[in-house]
Amino acid sequence: MKTIKERTGAQALVESLEKAGTEVLFGYPGGAVIDIFDRLVDAKFKFVLGRHEQGSAHMADGYARASGKVGVCLVTSGPGATNVITGLGTAYLDGVPMVVITGQVPLSQIGTDAFQEADMSGICRAVTKHSFLVQSADEIPETVAQAFYIATHGKPGPVVIDIPKNCQQALTKAQYPERVNLRAYHPEFTATPAQISRFAKLLNEAKKPVIYAGGGTIAAFAAKELGELARKAQVPVATTLMGLGAFDQTDPLSLGMAGMHGAPCANYAIDEADLIVALGVRFSDRVTGKLSAYAQKAKIIHVDCDPAEVNKNVAVELGIVADVRDVLATVASRVKAGNHDAWLAKIAGWKKAHPISYTTLHKGVIMPQQVIEAIDKVSQGEAIVVTDVGQQQMWASQYVHHRHARRFLTSGGMGTMGFGIPAAIGAALARPDLKVVAVCGDGGAQMTFEEVVVAVLEKLPITFVIVNNGCLGMVRQWQELFYHKRYSQTILKREGLEYLPDFLKLAEAHGAKAYRVLDPAKLDGVMKKALESKETTLVEVIVDPEANVYPMIPGGKTVKEMIFK
Amino acid sequence: MIEAIQRLDCFVENKPGVLARMVGLISGRGYNIQALNVGPTEDGTVSRMKIDILGDTKVVNQIILQLRNQVNVIEVSARQIRKAK
Repeated sequence: MKTIKERTGAQALVESLEKAGTEVLFGYPGGAVIDIFDRLVDAKFKFVLGRHEQGSAHMADGYARASGKVGVCLVTSGPGATNVITGLGTAYLDGVPMVVITGQVPLSQIGTDAFQEADMSGICRAVTKHSFLVQSADEIPETVAQAFYIATHGKPGPVVIDIPKNCQQALTKAQYPERVNLRAYHPEFTATPAQISRFAKLLNEAKKPVIYAGGGTIAAFAAKELGELARKAQVPVATTLMGLGAFDQTDPLSLGMAGMHGAPCANYAIDEADLIVALGVRFSDRVTGKLSAYAQKAKIIHVDCDPAEVNKNVAVELGIVADVRDVLATVASRVKAGNHDAWLAKIAGWKKAHPISYTTLHKGVIMPQQVIEAIDKVSQGEAIVVTDVGQQQMWASQYVHHRHARRFLTSGGMGTMGFGIPAAIGAALARPDLKVVAVCGDGGAQMTFEEVVVAVLEKLPITFVIVNNGCLGMVRQWQELFYHKRYSQTILKREGLEYLPDFLKLAEAHGAKAYRVLDPAKLDGVMKKALESKETTLVEVIVDPEANVYPMIPGGKTVKEMIFK
Repeated sequence: MIEAIQRLDCFVENKPGVLARMVGLISGRGYNIQALNVGPTEDGTVSRMKIDILGDTKVVNQIILQLRNQVNVIEVSARQIRKAK
């Protein structure tokens, strides 16, 4: 029999992370994890040092979204742990699989207000799927295996492992388990044959069906099956913000994005539909608007892996708790080749009458929508576009031709400003074969700008695009439309002063090559130069501050109250 | 909205932090727990919790589904014990 070698908990953790398939670990050192960092010197995986723990968490998140693998992050106790809370919440609401390891003070000091002590398992409870507080070095390998299992099974999400310092130092012979055995957690559900028959029957009988696909479709790797079903049954497809890329928008069956800032034809089609096939969605308030008026003429089929989602916000005709890809693959052979020509013609009419569009407000001033068009044109729709949150996020959702899953990364549920820059770094590490463009506003960019250094040091050819309107645009837009133009604390630019900070100098100080564009005629050229560069680049585009995101269905309102300009 | 007191009968793994997760899910919605009883079952690795909460039945049903999603929860069942006054 092979003798089992005794090693420290810290070494056991590193070995377990290797066994779990970790390729990149993001994080930041500190006193309570110094033993683990010592063992990282010889680890088989890469370590990427962030500049703030929130940045490291978003990097792991961006890595997970782009790759479909688990994003892994390691930070210290106390402030290191509390700094990842926003990153955890962001991943939790968007169902992103992550394992976050936090250091903890020694078990003997827990509860004594020791230096850099924080009750992490308590603090993170509302923003994680699960958390572990390790009690001995012997628990470490099995806990890591369980954490990876929980992060990826059922609805994906973040899991925290809090490891006291003495457990990192103690010796253990414990081995990484062959299989994970969680007594109470069995989130695999499958559709019954009766549910599949009913699904097929409802779809075959529908005259005005719409597929409405969300982030769960991408999480389930079901984009291929979705495309096949939609084309066979000739059903138009709308997606949520999180579902962008699940269906090729250059396909005539694509309706684009539904919801508050969605395409009018998508919202009209849902309003008029007699059947909605909802796949991996949660009927968020940003999509439904006023619930009592939502899709009143439609029967709803809802497929989701999470039993707590079905019938949560809308009452459904047929709820199926199962893996979206399995259901689509099974139902495909039961669905008849469709013919919905009259319905598709009506939709084509809406598309033509109400395209997503904008008009230049001031001659010679770049419209922010143009910036997104330039990125889409230069990258030919093949780049990974990572956004921050706010107006620029919505314009990116509207003006990129989304073609592939996992190429549009955005904080949908939490709406976390500061997500864009670090998430782009994670995405670039996950997909070195693809160009990564981060679209940020001047507000959000200032929240996590320090991470640009990481892109430069890792030699990542990311292009950070700052859509600079000198204001916190989305809140400013709401103040303009709904708060009598009282611009309370949303105008960042001071009259008579240059734009501050100077993003060119800031980028150069961080080691990135930077460009500033004010002239609409030069936009495409500069964007091309930046996107083709092998270095980390930043393009600051000074845009019209008065531009608003349209169309818009104000919060809690209905399709009939859509504002076009 | 129908308000009623419901008793949630929960079987959970007997581990630290499980009670906090269960209670946090309920209190985080602003719901007050009317009564709470926790103890071991004959199988010492399983605890039984009885949690009485007053609230909208639809929301309580949603809470039950979310409790069942918890990693350490073996089973949750519910019954209405009385209508709210």
